[in-house]
Amino acid sequence: MTLFILKRLAQIIPVTLGVTLVVFLIMQMIPGDPAIILAGEGASQETVAELRENLGLNKPLAVQYTDYIKNLLQGDMGHSLKNNQPVFEEITARLPITIELAFYSILITIVLGLVAGIISAIRPYSFMDVGLMIVALLGISLPSFWLGILLMYLFSVQLHWLPVAGWDSAKHIILPAVTLGAGGAAIVARMTRSSMLEVVNQDYIRTAKAKGLKGYIIILKHALRNALIPVITVVGLQFGSLLGGTVLVESVFAVNGLGRMIVDAIRTRDIPIVQGGVLVASLIFVFINLFVDILYRIFNKRMDLN
Amino acid sequence: MKQETVLEVKNLQTYFYSSEGVAKAVDGVSFTLQKGETLGIVGESGCGKSMTSLSLLRLVPSPPGKIINGEILLNNTDILKLSDEELRKIRGNKISMIFQEPMTSLNPVLSVGEQIAESIRLHQGLSRKDAWEKAVDMIRLVGIPAPEKRAKQEPYQLSGGMRQRIMIAMALACTPDVLIADEPTTALDVTIQAQIIDIIQNLQKQLGMSIIFITHDLGVVAEICDKIAVMYAGQVVEEGTTDNLFEKPLHPYTNGLIQSLPKLYEDQEELSTIHGTVPSPYNYPIGCRYAERCPFATELCREKQPELLTVEPGKKVRCWMYSKEWQGATLMEEMTI
Repeated sequence: MTLFILKRLAQIIPVTLGVTLVVFLIMQMIPGDPAIILAGEGASQETVAELRENLGLNKPLAVQYTDYIKNLLQGDMGHSLKNNQPVFEEITARLPITIELAFYSILITIVLGLVAGIISAIRPYSFMDVGLMIVALLGISLPSFWLGILLMYLFSVQLHWLPVAGWDSAKHIILPAVTLGAGGAAIVARMTRSSMLEVVNQDYIRTAKAKGLKGYIIILKHALRNALIPVITVVGLQFGSLLGGTVLVESVFAVNGLGRMIVDAIRTRDIPIVQGGVLVASLIFVFINLFVDILYRIFNKRMDLN
Repeated sequence: MKQETVLEVKNLQTYFYSSEGVAKAVDGVSFTLQKGETLGIVGESGCGKSMTSLSLLRLVPSPPGKIINGEILLNNTDILKLSDEELRKIRGNKISMIFQEPMTSLNPVLSVGEQIAESIRLHQGLSRKDAWEKAVDMIRLVGIPAPEKRAKQEPYQLSGGMRQRIMIAMALACTPDVLIADEPTTALDVTIQAQIIDIIQNLQKQLGMSIIFITHDLGVVAEICDKIAVMYAGQVVEEGTTDNLFEKPLHPYTNGLIQSLPKLYEDQEELSTIHGTVPSPYNYPIGCRYAERCPFATELCREKQPELLTVEPGKKVRCWMYSKEWQGATLMEEMTI
């Protein structure tokens, strides 16, 4: 297990290099010159040229990229082109908000998804099962930005139960977290249901019944632990799309997190901010994946043999 | 010695309902089991022997299966009339079961010790620590070396023979009155088979339980059973003591089964077989279910189903040949020829 974790940690280095390179190249390919956007539309050519020189945008791409990596290795993520603030500070100011949002969303994904999946699987094809699976289908089909607007209209505009936007109190967290977690919850519910239905027909469940075990022990101890193995994989994958989803949901609910920071930075071609933001997001993703793989091994010890 | 009946099954009927119709998997099975006795239920695949055993614990998958009729009296209590909670207290405690597939019958993510200990905790109310110690003792009892170490392992770390021993340890942990062994040796290789049978027999002597041994292997049955019930197409067609049944098989089907065993001291070019196939449980013939394959079948056999007749004490057969009607029917046939 330790060797496995060390191996996976070592993989972070090439992943990080790859991410920075891809983001760097994509940013170069997007039409629009950061110097022109920064100088404003009416700026003279001299101003723009000077700005470009100061920002180092005249240097060859390879030099720009190696400079960036050199600085990164020294812990310097560069400065925002817009307000000259260090990228690191910009990120650390917003990262906790996004982490909080992601945490509650994944909590909703796991809890709602598991509970709905288990209830469905206990009584398959019942009224409850069909109802839950229709809701789950809706959850998968609705894009999060649209679901967010619908929820906002219902609970904030019509019912006045929850605030429309912002990030000040616990009440503010509910709508964005539900919006972001709903799609994942739906996928987890469907996965849990099908995985449980497969497991409850296994011979060892019959053995558990033959031992005279209580119903809930059979479901929670004997069936769920086996059914969780594919569900954990799905939750891990969901976390990736959840990080992507924060970009949309933070924009819809005007939450000042990492996702919204990246969107704003792309708009203004603030390359260092975009690079820093995407780098941090991808590192989070890599660590979550590692965590999921460790969990997977704990639940499925047979994997340790390989 | 006065015999004490532990289990009595009367006219058990377990049917399966599907879009193809009704499959009469178990159709009027009756037998009794005395204390300390071993009953063998034999028959070919699909004859209803496994469904009979699952019915005894009400473990028939439902839907589509349903026990529609009969009585299963365990120490004079009808299992079919128990509430779910009462049934739960009997399962694994008074009656337990060893399944055919040791590879898939154990939970892959729980240690084997825990799988044995949980039913001890449940039925005997022992503490976690005491139940674990008893589980380790049970593993020792079924002859697995280093039981302390093995108890902590998970099924994938054990061989097939060891897993079946664990199943036996699990089934016997609460010293049940009745042990149902559903083809416990079928999935194992021959040397392990003999070991498993030895273990079951030794434990039976030590613990004094009754066993229902379900198998299609007549050799195993001859070795360990006191009496045998032969099943065909969902019904018992012959019942008797092991010696009697092998020496003097009455039913043409039992006879066919014994004839088809390979013989050690005879020079046989080809093994004898029973021609034809088992009728579909969705569509049994109205007469005797074996008539199509039986060399002695007459019109009577094809038209009317024979009852299970008691031909002598402890010996029953479901065949027209041993009935009063048979004499008359064969005479009639001879006269028409």
